[in-house]
Amino acid sequence: MRNLIAAASAALALSLTALPAVAKDLIVTAAKPDRLYVIDAKARTIETDCKLDFNLIPGVIVVSPDNKIAYILGNRWEDVFGIDLSTCEMVFSAHQSEGDIRRKTIASLAVSKDGKEVYTVRNPVRLLADRYEVLEPEIAVYETSAGLGAKPARTFPSPRRMTVMATGRDGMLYAAGHEIYAIDPKTGEISIKIKNATWDRPTYSPPDVLAFWPIGTQADEFMLLYSAAKFTDESMSEIADFVWGYQSVDLTTGESEIADFASLEVIMFSAVRDPNDKSKLYGVYTQLSKHDVEKKELIKRVDLPHTYYCVNISSDGKEIYVGGTNDDIGVYDAETLERIGEILLPSGGDMAAGTMQVISTGS
Amino acid sequence: MRHLKPLNQKADRVVTAVETDKMDEVRAMQTVVVGCTSTLDPGWEVDPFGGVAALCQPMEADLYGCSDPCWWPAQVPDTINSYRDWNADADNAGKDWRSLGTVFPSDSET
Repeated sequence: MRNLIAAASAALALSLTALPAVAKDLIVTAAKPDRLYVIDAKARTIETDCKLDFNLIPGVIVVSPDNKIAYILGNRWEDVFGIDLSTCEMVFSAHQSEGDIRRKTIASLAVSKDGKEVYTVRNPVRLLADRYEVLEPEIAVYETSAGLGAKPARTFPSPRRMTVMATGRDGMLYAAGHEIYAIDPKTGEISIKIKNATWDRPTYSPPDVLAFWPIGTQADEFMLLYSAAKFTDESMSEIADFVWGYQSVDLTTGESEIADFASLEVIMFSAVRDPNDKSKLYGVYTQLSKHDVEKKELIKRVDLPHTYYCVNISSDGKEIYVGGTNDDIGVYDAETLERIGEILLPSGGDMAAGTMQVISTGS
Repeated sequence: MRHLKPLNQKADRVVTAVETDKMDEVRAMQTVVVGCTSTLDPGWEVDPFGGVAALCQPMEADLYGCSDPCWWPAQVPDTINSYRDWNADADNAGKDWRSLGTVFPSDSET
């Protein structure tokens, strides 16, 4: 009997170890003064608390495709650091300024879908005694295998005014500037993927796009909101409406779309779509809004306890996370927009403009 | 433009554009942040609707999210370049705002 129990126990233990890791969503975000957090989204608990030894400003985060490394833009927009999410060890760093050349990256950070390359757009100035000499911006390609103190493997000329970026499975780098650009990081060839400043909409003002949070990975898209004034005719003398629209690049197919979906009634700083139903869009600021972008209908809108900058969504599309600004992440039911949970960050520091990513682990 | 005088190089270039009929090349920037010297956002005074209801609530929720990107260089010290540690001991703007001080250029910077 004892042997039977032992055998049964061994079999059970074997079956447990043979099980794949339990699938769950993790929130990855940063908070002042020096913390990178990995949070079990459903359990609302801190899974990993990494103390960092660099300045977190601005805390723009992208995660490697295998979900193992968080790449953070820090040191006041100048340097990129790769942090192993399981050990908190720094496994990559790139210090972009050198000598009298200061190079700032305005949120332009992305990692290739094979995890082998990290991309930034660097805006250099030469520090002179009485002024800054503005130099030409450049796309920098870093090999992640270069480890600490990485130097660019390649650089290419870049358009000015670039902000957030994302990578496609076709190897392309998509970047938001005055247009949504498609960049081949192997050759530096640049084309316009979605027209913004040059869009052919004679009854619209140019779009205003706030592009600061590199989210959208849950729905596998590079998606940004725009707002614009819509006029009654091409003379642009009378405004008919202010509208919200979305523009998106599918990161698997490379297909793009751009469309209005609502009147501009409240501000939204960031938005995500449901990975399982792309018609549902959630936008956040002082309100959380749920839109049907196909029917162009506002489904529901609720007031939030305070303004949040960054929104994200669980992989099953059932929970919405709002973060950024203060030291708390609000959890909302995607169906009812009821606040169903809250995660307080232990450091008590502000997330400010930092990114709140959601990654899915296990299977 | 008779009653307006440019105060910096960028404004001077706008005047030149008017005089040389090149205003088509001038693009007014609204809320795109591209660094401390090129941003001029009116800040906390007014929202896009001309009121105050759509400003961030409360202002402290917005303070570091906007000062970190140098969004309001006239209202908040430039923590990117000049006053890098202005808020070093105030990690939570809502609770620690009393310890945030005013900054002044030092003699060596004037």
